[in-house]
Amino acid sequence: MVETLPQVAALLPALVLAATGLALLLVDTISPDARSNTSMAIVSALGALGSLSVTVWFVASGTGSVDTGGAVTLFADAIKVDTLALFFIAIFASVTALVVVAAHDYFHDHDNPAAFYSLTLFAATGMSLLAVANSLAVVFVALEMVSLPSYVLVAYLKQDRGSVEAGLKYFLVGALSSAVFLFGISLVYAATGSLILADIASTSVEGLAGVLGVGVVMMIGGVAFKTASVPFHFWAPEAYEGAPAPVSAFLSSASKAAGFVVAFRVFTEAFPLRMAVSANVDWMLAFAVLAAVTMTLGNFAAAVQEEVKRMLAYSSIGHAGYALIGVAALTLDGPANGTVMGAAMAHLLVYGFMNTGAFLFVAMAERWGVGRTFADYAGLWRRAPVASVAMAVFMFSLAGLPPFAGFFSKYFLFQAAIDNGFLWLAALGAVNSVVSLYYYSRVVKALFLDDPEMSSALDAVDVRPTALYAAVVFAAVATMLLLPGFGPVIETAEAAASALF
Amino acid sequence: MTAIAASIPPSWYLLLASAVFCIGLFGVLTRRSALYFLMSVELMMNAANINFVAFALYYGDLTGQVFALFVIALAAAEVAIGIGIILVLYRNFGTTDVTVPAEMRW
Repeated sequence: MVETLPQVAALLPALVLAATGLALLLVDTISPDARSNTSMAIVSALGALGSLSVTVWFVASGTGSVDTGGAVTLFADAIKVDTLALFFIAIFASVTALVVVAAHDYFHDHDNPAAFYSLTLFAATGMSLLAVANSLAVVFVALEMVSLPSYVLVAYLKQDRGSVEAGLKYFLVGALSSAVFLFGISLVYAATGSLILADIASTSVEGLAGVLGVGVVMMIGGVAFKTASVPFHFWAPEAYEGAPAPVSAFLSSASKAAGFVVAFRVFTEAFPLRMAVSANVDWMLAFAVLAAVTMTLGNFAAAVQEEVKRMLAYSSIGHAGYALIGVAALTLDGPANGTVMGAAMAHLLVYGFMNTGAFLFVAMAERWGVGRTFADYAGLWRRAPVASVAMAVFMFSLAGLPPFAGFFSKYFLFQAAIDNGFLWLAALGAVNSVVSLYYYSRVVKALFLDDPEMSSALDAVDVRPTALYAAVVFAAVATMLLLPGFGPVIETAEAAASALF
Repeated sequence: MTAIAASIPPSWYLLLASAVFCIGLFGVLTRRSALYFLMSVELMMNAANINFVAFALYYGDLTGQVFALFVIALAAAEVAIGIGIILVLYRNFGTTDVTVPAEMRW
């Protein structure tokens, strides 16, 4: 922490996002005629970038890191700002910035885009709050703060039957899983008498270990919903396919990472490995099974899809499975506990850029109206060469091919899992990556090698959505730049994760 | 009053809360109307509230009671969003039956 600032300034990244969202809402409410799509998009992008720069500044100056006096705790330990939280806030802010810039072109003829921008920023605020939550009460409030705007964002095109259906399904599964998560919290409270993570860990639960165990299992359910993992993954293909593509990008990158920050912090701090082993609440095993099932189901289901957006939805389920290795491949006193979790964090950062970029390319295709299937994308590179090259970068990086950033994050993740004695998880992940290469390269093949069925099919590509282009190209550049920049990223992530053990 | 409440074993509260939760879950799984779904989810959240309030008393700790108030506010917010989504559902599909919208493959 920079000494001259008060302690509460550690929350600045979240406060900037909240203030921007509120300002947009205020302007939209008091002078609805003065709003313009462009100025709203610029203000939201500036807000997100402001939050990102504060976060990067905090990380660089060592706020909350172990070297400079440890985490900053606020509000009677309910909030804890450490490097782990700042790392995730950086992911949320970057994805938010890309999404609001892209939304400028996507909603160019929409009559009320202000609601979109403020809801996106509120959801990002909730995510940042989730990253710093150190009490189950804050976790639940922040989780709802992410979920409620997200339901609306998915159903944002309220004249569009697909969007409404997607919003309804997301809401149904979301409301159910947050009720299950809440009941899990109440059982943990019943067993331990506290909601602060550290106090839960220090309570001994002799007679009520069973209650605690059921509570932990129900909380895993809540995490599985947010991260779109088995068994609460059903909503993901529907919601991502029906939602406006920038919203799909936001949910599948930022909202998923928000679910993982809960998993990483709550489970390691409230139910530390020692307690999990002694009280027989073996959540690592539960996560290992979920990781294996999730990545297999996601990748094999993605391989049989005909629509690009739906394929990306299933691929995002598969990537949730990879990232779950970060909480699954943990053992008591394991030598690589911090490394494997740090690698999962780095993977989520890289994934934030490449997956957002891929969905924004789909947003561009929707903006042009070229169609949704692989066949509709045939020969697109002739009309949109730069965007097509960017999409190829995203696809190969998602598949984990060298020399893209996705290769390094996966390599570190699987290597750390092997170091911790989880060879089977790493092997399964590698097999799944091979499967994923098949369906990712189908997109590249369609873009560059196939010819469109009708020569007039590409006439739809008649506009140049500048902001969308900029967002896609920036995401591609970030995916490439994370290659030389991967060293600092993985070091920060591993240091942040190691502080949890 | 407090003496009576405190003399009830905590496991009874757990049983009551679990029963209410299961009734809510049963409603979620069997009802087709989106409005019944909202009511059932409300039951599930209130089951959690029973636990929070009961164990706040048991441990002599106010955290649970205060959090129960938060949950009530959040449940209201969730219902407000849910009603909005059900309204656009009705406008687009002419029904509140959650099994009718199936434009996309499941």
